Amino acid sequence: MESRPLITARIVWTTLIVVLLYLPIISIVLASLANTRFMRFPHRIWSLDAYRDALGLELTYDLQWTSLEVAASVAILAAAFAIPGALAFARYEWPGRSLFQKTLLLPIFFPQSVLGLAALVTMSTMGISPSWKTAVFMHLVWVVPIVTMIVSIRLYGFDVAQEEAAFDLGATRFQSFLAVTLPQMMPGIVSGALFAFLLSWANLPLSAYTSGADSTLPEWLYSRMSTNYAPMVPAVSVLSIVASVFAVVIFQLLRIGWRRHLEERNV
Amino acid sequence: MDESARNGLVSVIPVVLLLLVGFALPLLFIVYTGFMPSRSFGLIGDPTLENYRIIIADGYWRPLMWSLAFAAATTVLSLVIAWPIAKALVVHAGRFASLISILVAVPVFIAESVRLFGAHLFMMPKGGILAGSMNALFGIDVGSILFTPLATLVGMVYIYLPFAIFPMVLGLSQVPREQVEAAKDLGASGWQTVINVELPIALPGILIGGLLVFVLALGATGEAAILGGQSVVVAVQSIEQRFNYAQDWPLGSALATVLCVITALVVFPSMRRLDVDRLFRR
Repeated sequence: MESRPLITARIVWTTLIVVLLYLPIISIVLASLANTRFMRFPHRIWSLDAYRDALGLELTYDLQWTSLEVAASVAILAAAFAIPGALAFARYEWPGRSLFQKTLLLPIFFPQSVLGLAALVTMSTMGISPSWKTAVFMHLVWVVPIVTMIVSIRLYGFDVAQEEAAFDLGATRFQSFLAVTLPQMMPGIVSGALFAFLLSWANLPLSAYTSGADSTLPEWLYSRMSTNYAPMVPAVSVLSIVASVFAVVIFQLLRIGWRRHLEERNV
Repeated sequence: MDESARNGLVSVIPVVLLLLVGFALPLLFIVYTGFMPSRSFGLIGDPTLENYRIIIADGYWRPLMWSLAFAAATTVLSLVIAWPIAKALVVHAGRFASLISILVAVPVFIAESVRLFGAHLFMMPKGGILAGSMNALFGIDVGSILFTPLATLVGMVYIYLPFAIFPMVLGLSQVPREQVEAAKDLGASGWQTVINVELPIALPGILIGGLLVFVLALGATGEAAILGGQSVVVAVQSIEQRFNYAQDWPLGSALATVLCVITALVVFPSMRRLDVDRLFRR
């Protein structure tokens, strides 16, 4: 057994660091409750004016809409890419698999702003004008590897014999994939899509260089932080965090619904 | 060719195409642009090494050195801070551990710039959250580290710590409990157990975490921009300046190429030894 003081010290340390991780987020919330342009904390007057301004401004809806458009497209497309990707990563034995597994890590181990700039150079040379669609594409380059790995973790636990059984019972290869393998991959695909959505929603470095005139929420926030600060900036940040929490809740509800649906079908 | 091999080769096609067009092609473009004459546009000039001469002669390596130093310090600090947390998550698995994991993971999904701006508001002198509260509650004036290299370092550790914790947990969870108990029964001290039993088994996870933190910190810019102010310029900032303000894409591309080469020199040797299957399989 380990000694008591060691265990206590470890738990105190862990708690302390987690609290520190949240100080900046708490600071954002506190800053949004002011009604003066220059922050002097503690505020003389605490108010929700900034939220009223943020919700009254049409621009915030445009920004949320662009971000949503990008993140939702990234989530769906990333899942579509990750399904075959994960099969190649974890399911099939083929020459080059180990090389593929490592190559897939490269976009993750790479500075995103450099990738964004490189994409900008490429697009401008090839005469492609950047828009939210090109931002979706570049988000995919970074997100698909991550989603592929999430789905793969599910697939590692998959018993290949099940698919063989379906095949032996007369199903075609594709039918047995749809009926046996895909449902097994589903939880991984759903969490992968959720990851993709959240990562894309919060991304700045790739969007900054590849979204052209279509500004996403983090892009707008970043430009307002440096030049034209007002309590509305932290207020919009808080709203954007609330939106991603909302997305997580919706995904969870969908997942519970899906599980119910499966159980009912099996009964 | 057997069926599994054929299926594998077919199912890999979409992802490989995506990476060829979205990753390999832009990198080729930027490497090539780096050989174009400084301040030119397009890819039709005569290839030259002029940009690389400018990088060495005009001090463009200095931001790179700062980034390397920040990345090294961030990696060491993150791994040291992460170790007790990872141990707590693995040893005291249960409700406490899942709550902590979720709490550590949530900020990763909040835009980096937003969190760094929160840190900025927290550190601000006088009217900032920390300084203001201290003054109002205790009447003391605390200084501020905002706009110093230290603030940049704190910001990097703050942002990249989760990437050190989770792979470390993955590595540590592969250490069999019985082996640790056996080492202790045989008279090994706490430190001896850590160094001889836990570290060797957990090493792949720790390496991945450290590598991830190092590479991400090497390419970081938000920390220096939002927290560091003008105190130091890091590598990616100097690249961005060439692109945005100086409109010198070839020089910017050459700087980016240097950063890519350094990243590759760090990533490839570690990756050669990595057994991905073993890391993921439970």
